[in-house]
Amino acid sequence: GYAHALETQISFLTELTRLFQKCRTSGSVVITLKKYDGRTKPTPRKGHAESFEPVDNKCLVRASDGKKKISTVVTTKEVIKFQMAYSNLLRAHMDGLKKKDKKSKGKKTKATQ
Amino acid sequence: MPYFQTWEEFARAAEKLYLTDPMKVRVVLKYRHCDGNLCIKVTDNAAVSDCLQYKTDQAQDVKKIEKLHGKLMRLMVSKETHSGSMETD
Repeated sequence: GYAHALETQISFLTELTRLFQKCRTSGSVVITLKKYDGRTKPTPRKGHAESFEPVDNKCLVRASDGKKKISTVVTTKEVIKFQMAYSNLLRAHMDGLKKKDKKSKGKKTKATQ
Repeated sequence: MPYFQTWEEFARAAEKLYLTDPMKVRVVLKYRHCDGNLCIKVTDNAAVSDCLQYKTDQAQDVKKIEKLHGKLMRLMVSKETHSGSMETD
């Protein structure tokens, strides 16, 4: 149910945080996002095509550091909660890029928030 | 595999490609902290020419990339609609 889905998503996010932490000094974190129709088995060549009803409201999120692979399924019900946590996670951990300093006065002290 | 120069061009092309075939398209984010770069790729696995990529080393692009990623995620979990009635951020 809903609670279970949230739980798997939370553990996915925890594991994703670990992947980012592991890859600070070397390596890549690769995240893949794809729409998911709920299929758990490959399409049969003949017969029983009607027994599978594709769903329209799921996506599959996968992440890897080249060694460890994790994944989770997100549906319309959890997407808002998941997205908030997920986007915060990405912004917090993808912090190694160059910052543009518009008002550079040559100061080395950090600005207070 | 075309790399786009401006974010706006990339974002438009990426969304368009996704809407052409939602089930086939996959979005890949690759982050390298050690090199300080982030690459986003949107592909339908068909022609090489339909693999769109944008690579950056600028912190200001992280938010844009993350937002597009989120937008595509929301599109994926919403029932297919072909009207322009999307919820705004």
